[in-house]
Amino acid sequence: MAGTGDLMSREALRSQVGTAAAIAHHGELIQGVFKDDGGRLHRGLVTLPITGLRSEASFARSDGDAVVVHPNHKIKASAAAQLTLEFLNVTGGGVLRLQSSIPVGHGYGSSTADVVASIRAVAAALNVQLRPSSIGRLAVAAERASDAIAFDEHAVLFAQREGTVIENFAGSLPPLLLLGFKANAGAPVDTLQLPPARYDSAEIQEFGVLRALVARAVRLQDPYLLGRAASASALISQRHLPKQGFGEIAEIARRAGACGVQVAHSGSLFGLIFDLFASNLKRRAALVAQQIRRAGFKDVEVHLVNAEGRTW
Amino acid sequence: MVTLDVDYFRDLETPRLARLAPNLVAAAFPLMKLMPARFILDRAASNGELKRGSHIVETTSGTFGMAVALLAAARDYRLTLVTASTLIDAKYKARLERIGATVIALDDPRGDGNQPGRLERLKEILATEPDGFWTRQYDSPGNWLAYARLAELFIRAMGKVDCLVGCVGTGGSLCGTASFLRTVFPHLTVFAVDTHRSVLFGQPVGKRMLRGLGNSVLPQNVRHELVDEIHWVGAYPAYRTAHRLLREHGLFMGPTSGAAALVAQWVATTLPDAQVAVIMPDEGHRHAETVYNDEWLSALPGWPCKEPSEPRTLTTIAPAAETQWTRFLWLRRSLGDVLETQAAGEVPPAVGAAENL
Repeated sequence: MAGTGDLMSREALRSQVGTAAAIAHHGELIQGVFKDDGGRLHRGLVTLPITGLRSEASFARSDGDAVVVHPNHKIKASAAAQLTLEFLNVTGGGVLRLQSSIPVGHGYGSSTADVVASIRAVAAALNVQLRPSSIGRLAVAAERASDAIAFDEHAVLFAQREGTVIENFAGSLPPLLLLGFKANAGAPVDTLQLPPARYDSAEIQEFGVLRALVARAVRLQDPYLLGRAASASALISQRHLPKQGFGEIAEIARRAGACGVQVAHSGSLFGLIFDLFASNLKRRAALVAQQIRRAGFKDVEVHLVNAEGRTW
Repeated sequence: MVTLDVDYFRDLETPRLARLAPNLVAAAFPLMKLMPARFILDRAASNGELKRGSHIVETTSGTFGMAVALLAAARDYRLTLVTASTLIDAKYKARLERIGATVIALDDPRGDGNQPGRLERLKEILATEPDGFWTRQYDSPGNWLAYARLAELFIRAMGKVDCLVGCVGTGGSLCGTASFLRTVFPHLTVFAVDTHRSVLFGQPVGKRMLRGLGNSVLPQNVRHELVDEIHWVGAYPAYRTAHRLLREHGLFMGPTSGAAALVAQWVATTLPDAQVAVIMPDEGHRHAETVYNDEWLSALPGWPCKEPSEPRTLTTIAPAAETQWTRFLWLRRSLGDVLETQAAGEVPPAVGAAENL
């Protein structure tokens, strides 16, 4: 009878296909180094999620040891699937399929989205619900540096090289309209080739102030404070990975009454942050989009953050 | 959520935030100088300037000395504080010595604090000590950098800050907090509080009755370009306001905190739509037998006096009596610029932040 049991469980195994998705982001609201409760410094970031772009993964378990990935160049996703199987104490492998609408190389977090979708798909194939903190840790293990997309729209200060949460802001970001576009003529940035930024004492101290702004902005759902934090972090980023036309964009943002300017700190993305409930927003956003295009920037797009079903 | 820090000093340096009016929040510190002292020592320890058992030196008899003394005692550093006999009372000296500090009180025949003599003595000590470390609160960037934490606390409690009010002695607390707040709120209006006959904002040096703010020399940490308005508060209105803080808010603070609160309450009343933050640097205990003692107060010439309800706006910088409160529109200029226009007899514009709104 033992033989029948084995056969049945193997059958059950094969039939389990897990599917999952992960959203993209538009770079970071803030990124720098931050003190933990013991005063030690950690590199950390607050991701700006956008739900319009996503990566979808399916994972079908197989008897073999290996994880086979399609398309086969997505080796970080494959490594993440392997690590998830190990984390869940499961032997065997499987077939991982990925389909993504996220452009590569601009700071949309295409790689992390693949990785997070893969981890979730493997867990789903095993009928397990993983905590965001575990997904974040596995993502960092798979790709060395990761963003906080495992937490979706929940705002956290995430140590992107350690996979830990430095501060949980205990809420989601306020509803925003983001006018996104690409700097440097839309040329992609190879994030793995970037050396980690070296910050001076004044910058390190300022990051604590920016973190306080984000905490307050999340607690009271205040887009203005979030914009102030993003602009200051973008200005610091400008000293480490300069984007052409930054001054011009800052001026357009100021004149348009935007809450702030946001950048992908290791990408080419720019974003102008507006309060989604601001008066006359549709007309103002259209006007600003026109000014940005005229200034020579590419791919101006509208993204809604925490819009709760509202469309543009 | 309660989290305990590995080091109690981080908690000890944290001010209580007190709302004094709908648009006014005070940071009431037990001992503000712990914030820069801890930051400067932590930084020096991490970059190797400060080693195990190092000998720390500083020329202060004020609260910075007490802050360094507490840290040095807890962390096993030796400490020598060089001061002048005119600036330190026996009780404070005894308190410092009880926690292990060596206090050298130099003669002060001219009665001006003998800063050159103190510096000379400090340098002699450093010359003989290979592991000597001078905290340099007047000039070390660590002094102002430390106050990013205060900016954080204000932001977490208030969100947008429109006006900042604080005393100036070394410049660390006001200029540090202002510079971090203005990075994110460029419109921030900064009100500096000094006292008559302090040289920091262009007055001629003289005997100051109010201690704990102002200076007879100019520290590098005073950055005049950050300041929109300068207020000179005399000792009497500062004392009166300290009394009022205790009576109306239960805050037992030192007279410098009284001076800051006087200006801040005027700013908050004059600009009702602005969110105002004020820094109150120390508690009243050290002043229990003076500022909080009726017998001592009644011996003051002219006491009791009326608390002025508003400052007198100066167009020419000049000292005033200890009963007075004056103000001058600094307008983010350098000290050199202001002194030059004063010498040329140019009258500055009579419109300040308050008149603008």
